[in-house]
Amino acid sequence: MNIQPFGEDALLLSMENEISAEVNNEVIRVYKILKESDLFSFLIPAYSSLTIGIDRTQYTIEEGTQLVKELSGNATIEQQKEQRLITIPVCYEVEFGLDLEEICRSNSLSKNELIDLHCSINYKVFMLGFVAGFAYLGSVPSQLRSSRKVTPRKSVAKGSVGLAGDQTGIYPVEAPGGWQIIGRTPVHMFNTKKEQPNLLYPGDLVKFRSISLEEFKIIQIKEETGIFELEVEHV
Amino acid sequence: MSDSLKIRVQSPGMFTSLQDLGRNGNQDSGVPFGGAMDKESHKIANELLDNQRSEPTIEMTYLGATFEFEGEGQIAITGADMGAKLNNNPVAMYKTIDVQNGDVLSFGQAQLGCRTYLGVKGEWQAPKWLDSFSVVSNLTDLDGIPKPLKKDDELEVKILSFIPNRKYPIGSIPVYSSCHIIRVITGPEFERFSIEQMQSFFQKVFTVSPDSNRMGYRLEGELKDYVTKREEISSGIVEGTIQITKSGKPIILTADAQTTGGYPRIANVVRDDLSRVGQMKAGDEVKFMLVNLSEL
Repeated sequence: MNIQPFGEDALLLSMENEISAEVNNEVIRVYKILKESDLFSFLIPAYSSLTIGIDRTQYTIEEGTQLVKELSGNATIEQQKEQRLITIPVCYEVEFGLDLEEICRSNSLSKNELIDLHCSINYKVFMLGFVAGFAYLGSVPSQLRSSRKVTPRKSVAKGSVGLAGDQTGIYPVEAPGGWQIIGRTPVHMFNTKKEQPNLLYPGDLVKFRSISLEEFKIIQIKEETGIFELEVEHV
Repeated sequence: MSDSLKIRVQSPGMFTSLQDLGRNGNQDSGVPFGGAMDKESHKIANELLDNQRSEPTIEMTYLGATFEFEGEGQIAITGADMGAKLNNNPVAMYKTIDVQNGDVLSFGQAQLGCRTYLGVKGEWQAPKWLDSFSVVSNLTDLDGIPKPLKKDDELEVKILSFIPNRKYPIGSIPVYSSCHIIRVITGPEFERFSIEQMQSFFQKVFTVSPDSNRMGYRLEGELKDYVTKREEISSGIVEGTIQITKSGKPIILTADAQTTGGYPRIANVVRDDLSRVGQMKAGDEVKFMLVNLSEL
């Protein structure tokens, strides 16, 4: 673990430079402790790093560094063992999954195999970024690995579920993007009317469930009227 | 004295929005820091009106807006000179100005600098999201998030009191040019660059690309012999982070930038020069100067 100044008002805590659940678990552990302490002006957890905002009217960079070291090294604060496991319904129909057929071809999978694989495991939220509420989930089964689109789309619809490299993710809002789109969720991933607008947080677990077009429409209506109940387990 | 000053947008200009000091603390949700691009000018406008720090101002970009007032109030204009006129007569910047019922305030094009701030004395009655009035430039279509100003929008400011007119010291008013020297400190990936690349970063005069906005300033001009070895693992971004894109060109990330990115972070603009960055416009020239964090 290495801590260095980042700009004048932040610190960058870097772990081993790799994308792995192990390294990211450590990032999330420190993130949760620092968030709980409420002493820092902002926190940006990423795959293998944590950007920590220091309120310079309160602390010098040295004091901030010391504080982070003390808090993160405090072994008595146990990592919250319980994680949320959130089930996200996804419709994999071709009208939503614009790149589904292409991925099936390039990865030699049938449509059903692709869906089964995508729904087969629990993914971890490594970080949020790119646009507000965009969660980077990993890691996908190796048969689903895919490269980004050569030419990114100018606009990807809200709720689109995509693949890129080892990752999968959901576009919370309409945005430009180069991920391979395989389906769409009717669930609002980012709801500006809520005090906590994003559905997913770093450290959460996510499972996908394949739904029909009809169920998509039903959930969509339920979401609009605010009566949809998301499946959340604590594991 | 009426209880409120109403401001009707006759024409919105190029990109006009309410801005305050932004949203610190929601970055783990991917929400940009946001707020005024030139926080210094924004703060001065509020100070000239004895407003609370948390009040927003109207930020105009390059081509200004035209407003009509209903009621009496006080305003202050700071930032870039857009040739402001009150009822077609030139009006001074950096001081408190009284406005009357029916007055029309119009702005033209910025000659030097890029952003102008219009402060209004009182309490703004406008929607907030996550405790801020600020428009987020890539989330303008979402319900519940403040929107950029458009023709015929009506804004309201609650008038609590009037103050004796104030003036900002002439010697302290920022002077803009089309050449900028921006002070930076080294970024997290600085040492990954070769000596030649580092040198070219500090020797080159870069040009501001027209493809610049509240999310970031793209610069024309490449680092010497730049080839990306590999993509970095996405990591945090703060206001003023300078990344080097695949083509070797720098990009300065500003208020509405995404919170994480995967290009190497060569340097970071010092806090006192961030407002200066918000005043750069397409075609301006930029040179970076390295300073030491301990000297600041």
